[in-house]
Amino acid sequence: MRKTRLTALFAVLLLALASVAVIGCGGGSDSTTGGGGSTEAGGGGGEPITVGSDIPYPPFEQGKPGNYTGFDVELMDAIAEKMDRTPEFQDTSFETIFRDVAQGKFEAVISAATITEEREQAVDFSNPYYLSEQAVLVKEGSDVKSLEDLEGKTVAAQQGTTGLELAKEELGGSEIRPYPEGPDAVNALKAGTVEGVIIDAPVAQNAVEKSGGVEIAEKVPTEETYGIAVAQGDTELLDEINKALKEVEDDGTYKTIYEKWFNLEPPKAIFTETHEAE
Amino acid sequence: MSEFFHQYFDFTIMGDHFSEVLEGFFKNLLLFAVVVVLALIWGLILALIRQLPGKKFAPLRFLTIVYIDVLRAIPILIILLLISGGIPYLNFIPKDIRIPHWFGQPDPFWYSVLGLTMVYGAYMAEVYRAGIEAVPGGQFEAARSLGMSHGKAMRHVVVPQAVTKIPAPMLNEMISLLKDTTLASVVALGEAVLISREILAETFNSSAVILAGVMFLVITLPAARLVDVLIKRNQAKVSRGAHIEVA
Repeated sequence: MRKTRLTALFAVLLLALASVAVIGCGGGSDSTTGGGGSTEAGGGGGEPITVGSDIPYPPFEQGKPGNYTGFDVELMDAIAEKMDRTPEFQDTSFETIFRDVAQGKFEAVISAATITEEREQAVDFSNPYYLSEQAVLVKEGSDVKSLEDLEGKTVAAQQGTTGLELAKEELGGSEIRPYPEGPDAVNALKAGTVEGVIIDAPVAQNAVEKSGGVEIAEKVPTEETYGIAVAQGDTELLDEINKALKEVEDDGTYKTIYEKWFNLEPPKAIFTETHEAE
Repeated sequence: MSEFFHQYFDFTIMGDHFSEVLEGFFKNLLLFAVVVVLALIWGLILALIRQLPGKKFAPLRFLTIVYIDVLRAIPILIILLLISGGIPYLNFIPKDIRIPHWFGQPDPFWYSVLGLTMVYGAYMAEVYRAGIEAVPGGQFEAARSLGMSHGKAMRHVVVPQAVTKIPAPMLNEMISLLKDTTLASVVALGEAVLISREILAETFNSSAVILAGVMFLVITLPAARLVDVLIKRNQAKVSRGAHIEVA
């Protein structure tokens, strides 16, 4: 008799503990595939706007929950401020990010995301906020000097990116390894298990400067542009974002942020490029 | 509700990408085949070392127990990441071994073989041990008192009886192993999960992932049923009066 009483008591205690834990932790942020936190960054007061991003992807987004920084992060802060809203960033995995914003998991996506036709089947993009291209990243001193030199070699890229697509298109004879995160691909390069990485040029440049031991063999001008994505048909939010982006560009904030993260003046073209959501 | 079906059961997408996902699944099967053989052997070695009697073998037994405990305790994912993230940097190992491309399989394949063998060797050692220890002690003592050495007693009396109790739990471990081959996706091995995630990224649709799951089901469900059949058969043997205990 005593034993069953005791076990019953233990069971109740355990159940109580479990429910406290669930209620205590479950209330807060949304859970995301990336598993990071959701945080409030700068921006104005007012209603929060949930923003998905694949973190880390330096120099566009990096840092720990509560402390995200990067070009995209600061630009979004500035844009949100113009909209009188506060961005709440959610770390999420890049390969599902467009589907997730299309399904309303968050309201917008800023994640060094190239505007492409395929993606536009699921989301709408803002006007471009960055002009980009791909780069071929190799180990310092490698004899790979161009994209073609990687033919027949092992090449890495990040899952779901335009870099991966480029690799698949141009390097039919190579073994192409998709990694879940951009930095994983760069690590594989440094470890020597792959001989080249096809990744966004600014990210490659950042790896050269911050990580060391790697160099850019060739830049592949793909004329791709990054945009902020919202769910298809969310024209109201899209218009607000476009308007705010224009204001940020006009009042010089864009230039300041750009120069901070890239040590370069922003190209004139970015201020005039527009994009019609389809 | 129809959105649910579209997201997970879009048969057009499944049809379009069927051969890609199947090719990836064959990688899982290949990885499984290689690891299962190696792990069965490695596990047996571990189990036998663990059984070595006497004081002089105590350090070996201790090391084996530590190995088995640690490898069953650390998540397999962490072990795979440690292997693929660290070994390439160990420059004292020649490049052909450090970054292996043996038999046409890339290094992520071999890192996964190493990691999975290390871990499943430990699990299988425990299955062997349970089988050996389930044989009544009297059998071993009787064999020894008849003049057999430790080795002969194990080989002719204990192990043959232990062997009947091993298939069912061993098959369970092998089913786990097949499922765990999907962990190789994080070290960029082109297996079913990685391929289906790529398709997910391209199509914004999870149907390919369901397809991969179905492929595993096709193998693991019958295998699980087989385990039940084996257990039942062993129980039947016992009730008919054989001297072998139930699994």
